[in-house]
Amino acid sequence: MYKLLLCVRYLQTRYLAFICIVSVMLGVATLIVVNAVMSGFSTKLKDRLHGVLSDVIVDTDRSDGFEINDTLGKALTPDEVVARIMASPAGPKIAAVTPTIEVFAILQFNFRGQAMTKPVRLIGIDPEGRAAVGGFAEYLVRQHGHARPSFELTPEALKQHELNRQRRERADALQVPNVPDPKPLVPDPAALPEPDDAVMKRDMPVTKLNGAVIGYTIAHFRWRNEQGEVVEEAALKPGDDVTLFTAGGSQIDGGRIRPVFGNFLVTDYLKTEMSEYDQSFVYVPLDVLQRLRTMEGRCTAFQIKLKNYEADKKDVVDALRGIFDPRTGARVATWEEHQGSLLAAIDVERGILNLLLFMIVGVAGFSILAIFTMIVSEKYRDIGILKSLGASNHGVMSIFVCYGLLLGTVGCGLGTALGLTITDNINEIEMFLTRVTGKAVFPRDVYYFKDIPTNVDMVNVAVVNIGAVAVATLFSLLPAWRAARLHPVRALRFE
Amino acid sequence: MLTAENLCKAYRRHAVRVPVLNGLDLEVKTGEFLSIVGASGSGKSTLLHLLGTLDAPDSGRILLDGRRIDNLPSRDRDALRNRVFGYIFQFYHLLPELTTLDNVLMPAYIGHSVVGWWKARSKWRARAVELLTKVGLGHRMHHRPGQLSGGEMQRAAVARALLTSPRVLLADEPTGNLDAATGDEIVRLLRDLNREDGVTIVMVTHNLDIVTATDRVVRMVGGVVTDDTGARKPAPFHAPLLAAV
Repeated sequence: MYKLLLCVRYLQTRYLAFICIVSVMLGVATLIVVNAVMSGFSTKLKDRLHGVLSDVIVDTDRSDGFEINDTLGKALTPDEVVARIMASPAGPKIAAVTPTIEVFAILQFNFRGQAMTKPVRLIGIDPEGRAAVGGFAEYLVRQHGHARPSFELTPEALKQHELNRQRRERADALQVPNVPDPKPLVPDPAALPEPDDAVMKRDMPVTKLNGAVIGYTIAHFRWRNEQGEVVEEAALKPGDDVTLFTAGGSQIDGGRIRPVFGNFLVTDYLKTEMSEYDQSFVYVPLDVLQRLRTMEGRCTAFQIKLKNYEADKKDVVDALRGIFDPRTGARVATWEEHQGSLLAAIDVERGILNLLLFMIVGVAGFSILAIFTMIVSEKYRDIGILKSLGASNHGVMSIFVCYGLLLGTVGCGLGTALGLTITDNINEIEMFLTRVTGKAVFPRDVYYFKDIPTNVDMVNVAVVNIGAVAVATLFSLLPAWRAARLHPVRALRFE
Repeated sequence: MLTAENLCKAYRRHAVRVPVLNGLDLEVKTGEFLSIVGASGSGKSTLLHLLGTLDAPDSGRILLDGRRIDNLPSRDRDALRNRVFGYIFQFYHLLPELTTLDNVLMPAYIGHSVVGWWKARSKWRARAVELLTKVGLGHRMHHRPGQLSGGEMQRAAVARALLTSPRVLLADEPTGNLDAATGDEIVRLLRDLNREDGVTIVMVTHNLDIVTATDRVVRMVGGVVTDDTGARKPAPFHAPLLAAV
């Protein structure tokens, strides 16, 4: 009974002990806040990574896509491959499959009379099929959340396109040369090679009005004005023309790669809030890209959505590896395996950060050690009195171990409350700090997140609390052991 | 009742052995009020610590009712200090964080687990209040030691020592830190306890004036008992012995 009584009294009367409580509290609060923010970033990043990828991805680096033949040696079309996938043991576990083509490309457009170019990742999709495998429609700006998104141009986009056309014509009309060009405007036809109709037809830009979904950051510029505010301007509006240059043609040219290009009109933006995607992804209709690259009836990837990802991912991947022979360069991977290094890096970063931050609790532990050693010296005589009244060595040790436990528990309780409060109000705190310091603590133009994402994992909070209480108790053991070993006669003579 | 046989005890100071008790023999009888006098360094306090099992002798034996107690396991010695012996110190040694009532209750707190205390708390509280009233501190129960005078603190220490109704009260210079009048008051209190409640008291003191109130006086020189008034009557009959101190 006396152990509990003295623990509580020492806690109430020793102001030094509050330093220990504050150390533990700050350590625990920091760990909770950092973990919540890291976890928030991580969850949001995972959502985004998963968002643009389907559950399982089958892809190949072959320029002209997969080569899957039937028993007679005839190459299968993507639809036939999908049918084969659905007929395999993986079929019943698959919710949706869609073929895509993914290639690198250069995007060119005019902005204030200047030709701008950007390297992009060009993806040919069937928009409905792509939306069915998940994570496409919810990132579209205009067609946000549409079950059946399309590349159709809106009347406004068509109007913008018409305006652009008239503007171009007016500009061309103004360019009247003052001095006649001494060179003939048309080269001597005799000097030209014989025209090849097939090649001319192939190399001609696609004239049909094809829509393209452009990454939000590609289409928008951001800068800071004189007031330091972030200003955003659309460089590409719906209906604006873009030209996409890529490589294609290996199928008919016997393995030779040729540059190809096509004109598209902006129809929508992709806004995932992941800068990597928003600044490089351009979606165009699959059939248009197939024609452009002369790879009709072929694709370079299949995006697959599972009915129950966690339960079936392994079975489906194993079954698909039986269809797509890895010797032909085909890869079958879950979205996690696809982004394995990035996800592993997030986990490693979080682990290292936790380890480093737990040092704060370690420092709190050392402050407990130092302060307890002082308190034991101060309580030398009291220890002698207790022993003269019949307290055992074990009992005296328990007083100080309980004291450490109590300090740790109180510190953890306050730290958890503080940490959760900060986490809950982190955006308000960030705005306040930005207002006070005049410097953005969380620059939104860097992260593309509207708010600081947080995700409080109660298991993690419990682990932090248990760890901190254990550290506080552990560091009180040495002073407690010293107190217990104190000879009562020497303690009573101590004045 | 309490017997010391051939007690030897030495302390080490910087590798030098300092003998304090050198084969001391003493017998304390049940119900007597014994005072031990002697010059500083004669080993009075050391003897008291050994008798109350706060310290262990280098050699010799201590017996309580014929049973050896100096070599008992520490757990048993803790229990003896909690229930059989009561200590009173020169500097009162109250715990500053606790109220007078809690200080008096401390031996009961030590002797019980939380559950045990919860069950018996009203009995112990009543006993503590009774003792504090008896020593004249009924109105000071909720004061901290820092708010009490020296005499009041010593009376609180006496109440604490009596809480578990010990058989032997060991008082180490109980008046050493008090003025003469307050010292007399404390000795009178001990005298009454001895007479009315039959508590055996062993008191170490420098103050020759107060030993006249005790039943028997023992003088120590060089770690042994040199004079003992034996079972003679107190007060004026001690004069020859006191003169020799």
